[in-house]
Amino acid sequence: MDWIRTLLNRCATLFRGKKLDADLDEELCAHIDLAIAENVKSGMSPEQARFNALRAFGGVSQTRESYRSQRGLPWLEEISRDIRIAIRGLRKAPGFALTAILTLALGIGAVTSVFSVVNAVLLKPFAFRDPNRLVVLRESEEDHAGRTALPDNYRHVERLKKTAKTLEDIAIFAQNGASVSPNGDHPRIVGRVFSSPNLFSLLGVQPILGRNFVEGDARPGASPVVILSYQGWQSLLGGDPNAVGRTVRLGGDPSTVIGVMPAQMSFPQIAYSPTISFQDPSHSVMLFQPLIATDYDLKTDMGNFDYKAIARLKPDVTLSQASAELESLQNAYTVSAHLPLRFGIALTPLSKDVASGISGALWLMFAAVGAVLLIACVNLANLQLARAVNAERETAVRSALGASKSQLVVSRLVESFLLALTGGTAGAALAFAGVRILLSQVPANVPRLDEVHVNAPVLLFATGISILAAVAFGILPALRSLRVPPQAALQSSSARTVNTQEGSRTRSIMVATQVACTVVLLIVTSLALRSFAHLMNENRGFDTTHVTLAQIDLFSTQYSDDKPNFRTAKLAFVDRTLASLRQLPGVQSASITSVAPLTGETWVDNITRPDHPVPPGKEPLINVRWIDPEYLSTMHSSLIAGRNFTAGDRANPDVALISERASREGFPGEDPVGHKISDILPEPDNNKQLTIVGVVANARINGLKDDAAMLYIPYWAYTPWTLSFLVRSSQPSDALIPAIRRTIWQIDPQVAMPILKSMDEQVSDSAATERFQAIVLTSFGTAALLLALLGVYGVLAYSVSLRRQEFGIRIALGSNKGALIRLVLLQAAYPILLGCGAGLAFAVLALRWVRSLLYETPLLDPLAIGGSLCLIAAAAALAAIIPARRAASLDPMQALRIE
Amino acid sequence: MGDNKSDVLQGTLDLMVLKTLEALGPLHGYGIARRIEQVSGDSIVLNQGTIYPALLRLEQRGWIKSEWGTSETNRRAKFYSLSRIGRKKIAEETENWERVASTMARFLASSN
Repeated sequence: MDWIRTLLNRCATLFRGKKLDADLDEELCAHIDLAIAENVKSGMSPEQARFNALRAFGGVSQTRESYRSQRGLPWLEEISRDIRIAIRGLRKAPGFALTAILTLALGIGAVTSVFSVVNAVLLKPFAFRDPNRLVVLRESEEDHAGRTALPDNYRHVERLKKTAKTLEDIAIFAQNGASVSPNGDHPRIVGRVFSSPNLFSLLGVQPILGRNFVEGDARPGASPVVILSYQGWQSLLGGDPNAVGRTVRLGGDPSTVIGVMPAQMSFPQIAYSPTISFQDPSHSVMLFQPLIATDYDLKTDMGNFDYKAIARLKPDVTLSQASAELESLQNAYTVSAHLPLRFGIALTPLSKDVASGISGALWLMFAAVGAVLLIACVNLANLQLARAVNAERETAVRSALGASKSQLVVSRLVESFLLALTGGTAGAALAFAGVRILLSQVPANVPRLDEVHVNAPVLLFATGISILAAVAFGILPALRSLRVPPQAALQSSSARTVNTQEGSRTRSIMVATQVACTVVLLIVTSLALRSFAHLMNENRGFDTTHVTLAQIDLFSTQYSDDKPNFRTAKLAFVDRTLASLRQLPGVQSASITSVAPLTGETWVDNITRPDHPVPPGKEPLINVRWIDPEYLSTMHSSLIAGRNFTAGDRANPDVALISERASREGFPGEDPVGHKISDILPEPDNNKQLTIVGVVANARINGLKDDAAMLYIPYWAYTPWTLSFLVRSSQPSDALIPAIRRTIWQIDPQVAMPILKSMDEQVSDSAATERFQAIVLTSFGTAALLLALLGVYGVLAYSVSLRRQEFGIRIALGSNKGALIRLVLLQAAYPILLGCGAGLAFAVLALRWVRSLLYETPLLDPLAIGGSLCLIAAAAALAAIIPARRAASLDPMQALRIE
Repeated sequence: MGDNKSDVLQGTLDLMVLKTLEALGPLHGYGIARRIEQVSGDSIVLNQGTIYPALLRLEQRGWIKSEWGTSETNRRAKFYSLSRIGRKKIAEETENWERVASTMARFLASSN
């Protein structure tokens, strides 16, 4: 306790120094006066009395000194003196200070911005109870390609939920889009989750209004209820405090609001499977409804893999224990139920699963921006080193006067800290803008983007990074000042001490470090650019220019499958819409497809051939699409065998087209045209067969990275509720979009249109992650290159300026310009070559981490590596030639007269 | 702060100051110094100035307090007096000191 009181007392005196000094002086005077008075009383002469009093007291000024150091906080005073000196020093070199602060502000701002994204997307735990015990549960299946994770079958998950001992609970759910029109406007599509009623209790979140689901809500025949997410509450009901009990119409059907979830609960975006991305309404989830199991759910074992599941591990159960138990339960069931396939279980921690698609790209971006900051710090270290060298004399004087080593290091470090903290503060301020820029570039499918903010952890990180930067660029120069023998520094002129071999070696190592970092970054950047170029230039098998895409959802009541004529209603809507769209001026063709292009794999099914049965699970997979006859001409896809659909098929629509790849996989070595396959609609007693009438050229219609195996069926056979219209027109999409919207809403104002954009935009959105990666890396790579250029230039220019006298002498002795230029360039060449070599070696080691981020680009792509090396060599040569020429053009007389 | 070999001496001085204030009540620095010199006879040669950092230290710990007053010669002077904590500490410090002293005494006796 005593030390706390002492510290508080000491701190309290910090700002009252003058007053306390006066008090002390008065107290000491009183002491002497009292002593004199007593001495006089005992008979001494006044002089004698004064003399004796002072002698008995001891040294007055020593007393004052030791009193003062007992009173305040001496180290604080020392630091504040160092800070004052540092500020004075920086004000004398405003160019340096400004460069350093600006560099740091930009560097720290960039790192902090990227960190705030990394933090929200990858690091921050979910706002659930014990989020690290939550896992995503998927089924898995052995096939020729190894194990594939699948979405969940309802019956399988229910069975596991009853038997598994390592799990507390499992919540099963499905996700889709719901069309809502709160005020009777045109409806919009919002994300909806149908879940088992235990979802929120499993996650450990409580509604802020109303109640959670109960078992009864999920019983067949229960009155429909809905829980809103906070965002849904705000945007659909305007945050009405009396929302509970209100009715919202979802696809025309009324549901009663029973609860509202808290704002911090954003529902995690979980893919149905890591490889099969279902057409996912990327809009965030606003509605939660209880999942009412159907007979199909309860009885089907070999289909209906249509669900997602989140499980909670029991405390002290590890992921592998749970995996092992579930795997064996699942295997046992597969055997006892005589299922033709061996199903397993795949568990992934929730946080890892949610970030799986983007974590590689984000970490790469973080590493890249870190490398840029490192290069910037090396630049600053160089500048600081030069300043430390110039201050060598001062250092020598201080150490000769008795300054301790730690005092010397601290006083040099103080300057770096001052710069770093100023730069860091500016950087943190810049990060607010940086985050906004990043968010405008980050692909929209990145999870948890709404949680990206510059918040306390991010600011803490910025502070940490500033301190780290200060140490990084300040410690070397600071330590160097220790090694200066005071005598040498005092005797020699400053310019000659500096160019010791040691100093130039340090600078060379720093240049090499910079060059090495830049080489790595440039190689990664050029690989990403090459990969992006491959992706964009690959032959896709379809042409998107002049095509506009409109996705619609038929969720109003007349299309609902409990209405007698819903099939005819859907068909009529499509027919009328196609006819009207074809009437629009400039339109060359209009068609439909059941799935918007480039939205991933959907409706994955098997090719089952009655004439050629294969064991279950061995059938080739295809993606099913319902289209109309104009689809191929609208997409400029070509037919390579057989015929297209015709209007004549309408009466007998059980025909199909397959893609080249599906033909290769389903009919190896045969001509598929004329063969029959089983219909794929999951309808009871569906014994229909489809006749294949044609083969379509391969197209990367699901995603730019792969040709898909496709099966096309005319929409007359079946019209899905979600459809996409494709319109090819001579008019630009911008002009066409309002016309399309008007046309569709004239036919049915209650149709939702979640996507309406040009196909070019759709292509570009589908490559958003790759584009983002390319843009970010290019900007960081450019920054690194510029910084390295500055670094090489700075070091060379500095060393040339130090060697002016020497160059002057060389010129005076008859050395020619070419020789001098060669001399300087050689000096530059060693560290640059060393850096290139080290960078190349490091790149070879580090590149395996970026492999998964590249598309059809070999890691050791000669063009990328060679190009990067040439670029850095050219930049370095450019940076070196200026100081070299300056050295050669010195006026010897002036150079010699300088000191 | 007191982190060197003068620790024992410092502690000694502190205790002397506390005992003086306990015996004589509020007193100024000069009075305390004189009292210590008188009690110890010639065995301690005290630079009177060293009393002031010690007084400050005790005051910072809250063991003594000070206020300005008037001396017997009508001079304005700072008077020190024991605080409540200080009174409690005297017993503790005395015990400490006696333990150290007796330990030292045993050492010195055994080396004979």
